[in-house]
Amino acid sequence: MTAKAKIALFQCRWCLFSPADQEWVDTQLPENIHLTKTPCTGKINPLYLLNAIQGGADGIMISGCLPEQCHFKTGNLAARRQLEEFNDFLHYIGYEKERVHFLWLDLQDRGIIQKELAAFEAELEAMGSTQHLATRVMRAEGGENA
Amino acid sequence: MPDINALKLEAKRILREGIVDVVVGFKPGDSPLHPQPAFFRNEDEVEELIHNGLCKNNLANYLTRLPKQEKVGILVRGCENRSVNSLIVESQKERDDLYLIGIPCEGIIDWRRIVEQAGEHISMVEDNESEVTVHAPTGVNSYNRFDLLHESCQRCLHRNPVSADTLIGDPVANGSLELATQKVKNFESQDIEARYAFFQKEAERCIRCYACREACPSCYCTECFVDHNTPRWTESGATPAGMQGWHIVRAFHQSGRCTSCGACERACPMDIKMTYLTEKLNHDMREKYNFECGMDAETKPPFQTVTLDDKNRFFVGGGK
Amino acid sequence: MNLILPKIDLPDLLQSWRKKFTVFLPQKLERFSHFMPLDDANAEILEQPHNTRIPPKALFLPMTEALVKFTRFGTYDDAELEVSPRIVFGMRPCDAQAVQLLDTVFEQEQYTDPFWVKRQEKTIRIGLGCHVPCANGFCTTVGYGPFSKDGLDILLTDLGDSFLVEVLSESGKTLFENLHEASEELKNQAKEIQHKAHDAMPIAFETENLKEKIEQNFKSDYWDEVSRSCLGCGVCTFLCPTCFCFDIVDEVQRQERVRNWDSCMFRIYSLEASGHNPRPSRIERTRQRLSHKYAYWLDQIGLIGCTGCGRCVSYCPVGLDIRAMLRQAQSLPFEVSHAE
Repeated sequence: MTAKAKIALFQCRWCLFSPADQEWVDTQLPENIHLTKTPCTGKINPLYLLNAIQGGADGIMISGCLPEQCHFKTGNLAARRQLEEFNDFLHYIGYEKERVHFLWLDLQDRGIIQKELAAFEAELEAMGSTQHLATRVMRAEGGENA
Repeated sequence: MPDINALKLEAKRILREGIVDVVVGFKPGDSPLHPQPAFFRNEDEVEELIHNGLCKNNLANYLTRLPKQEKVGILVRGCENRSVNSLIVESQKERDDLYLIGIPCEGIIDWRRIVEQAGEHISMVEDNESEVTVHAPTGVNSYNRFDLLHESCQRCLHRNPVSADTLIGDPVANGSLELATQKVKNFESQDIEARYAFFQKEAERCIRCYACREACPSCYCTECFVDHNTPRWTESGATPAGMQGWHIVRAFHQSGRCTSCGACERACPMDIKMTYLTEKLNHDMREKYNFECGMDAETKPPFQTVTLDDKNRFFVGGGK
Repeated sequence: MNLILPKIDLPDLLQSWRKKFTVFLPQKLERFSHFMPLDDANAEILEQPHNTRIPPKALFLPMTEALVKFTRFGTYDDAELEVSPRIVFGMRPCDAQAVQLLDTVFEQEQYTDPFWVKRQEKTIRIGLGCHVPCANGFCTTVGYGPFSKDGLDILLTDLGDSFLVEVLSESGKTLFENLHEASEELKNQAKEIQHKAHDAMPIAFETENLKEKIEQNFKSDYWDEVSRSCLGCGVCTFLCPTCFCFDIVDEVQRQERVRNWDSCMFRIYSLEASGHNPRPSRIERTRQRLSHKYAYWLDQIGLIGCTGCGRCVSYCPVGLDIRAMLRQAQSLPFEVSHAE
């Protein structure tokens, strides 16, 4: 892979308790990371993930809060049930499981997200880009469904 | 096979006694291969009622399409009964407005298999316990019934209605969990390339007619995510991304709501395999949450119920 | 011009066409047949007893095609369409007839569709008559037949060991150069086969006054009755060789304006931006589908917009049968109009 791995980052707006970390995410994210801030991980629809993948993301990181620390009490639990299953499901049809990364942060955590993102990026670059799951391109004339 | 006269008597009785306004069942179609769903509103109409192995639709589908205030009598097999329960859980229908006539089911015959074996010109199909006799111009032939069954019926787990008001016919033996999960396990044991190749081959034959959606009792949204255009969730054309997106999300929306009836696959004009997707989700619901959709009319599917007990399993699937 | 083509020579002939043309012919895809381009490997000629699952209209009006490519900065270009010369081999007469009907839609005086025209011009259509009647077709009922020649450049008749080649147009002539003229005996044999096939197709319903009956019973309960079990999927329209509705959509992420097949059986087909839907239920949508084929086409070009291929009958998920619907429509009351 020549270009840097493209990462779609879905971040719960409550999970980075330290202003410094949030500031970093808001202003200093590298260009290859696309940030989508959500009110809670519970807001993240599996369709968001699919859209990111079909839009050409090499990997997806979801950062949220630990159990019992959710701003909305159970949002993260609902998210985990759905998104984990969605990831399993994508894996079942041939998408690498490692390309979706969950980062559950403790309120005490500081400076974790930077390290995790760097590690995830390195991991994705080692894996290379994937042909699995189509992105939005036209099919050539005379193909199966021409 | 259910005794058709007993079925008619029961349908007539509930109409006569005013227990229901309409009975949903099947009537003969133009071709013996295609019985049609039908709505019987008086005793005379019930004379047309039939029920055999070629009745391929999931009748629970019509519950959300009939006027809300109507009391409905419906013929249910195992899968249809569970679909009805699932709709009750999702507040689409009140149990008190329903009268379920249960029919133990020995599987739905795939009409395409009959056509493959005996050609298009079929004049009559006799459906017996273990054999199906097909009358065609080329001759009269009998086939093993199990071989002609639709795939999802061959591995069906719950063949008897689970909460019918009356049961017409004797209960049949239920399927085995081992057989029911065989397909998913076989598919999972393949490597990632093979799995994707299969998914791609199947999904990209799609013509986006949405017969799978319309045939499914759980797909009752007024506006489907593919019809939505602000925002656009997935491409609406027959492009690889659009077709894959449709198949992924259609199946995923069924997680914990699918009763493995296989109506989607039977409706597909392009013979696309779809149940391997929903079976996987059903399998996971069973393994992770010990949940089987539609076994009663109270239990909510796992995605609607979250408990703090979940935290013990929180980091399964990634994270620190 | 009637020529004779031994079946044994057909594979070589098809291969020789490949030098100049892309040859589409029905090949096996899963459990059905589908028009696919011929390559070296799959020279096997499929003796399909009936139609392909997807009608060959898809070769002229693809399910999805780009019309315009645009950029985020407001500039745009028409999509370029390169079509190499092609041969469609083994089209059934009902499908060829349907493509000809669609010409009247896409090649009108004021409005011509450049994509459709370009594909048409570059295509030679070789038809294969149906000597075995199909179970759900009703071509003779709607005024066509298993050996209709409309819309074809060449019609083949299966004579057992060979095909009788009827050359119907100039462009068809060049394809069969080294063939012998058929003997009178064989010509007569072919005629007999054609007549037999024609007679073997039963008349499924009467078409007389059907248009008046449909039009005058616009508000009849009949429509409710026939559409009651309809699911509202697009099988009947997408597999129909004469359905041509399309939807133009901007695929913003891909920066293309595309045209996709659309179906009058879908809820969003007639949904307006205000939220009002002039065809709110399946009753109105079913009425639209039947009326279009059996009344509105007649108003526009004087022909029934259905060629009786029978696909909608075979593949309807709930077993709805257009033949039965129209038989029922024949019993509707109507008045003869004296205006004409």
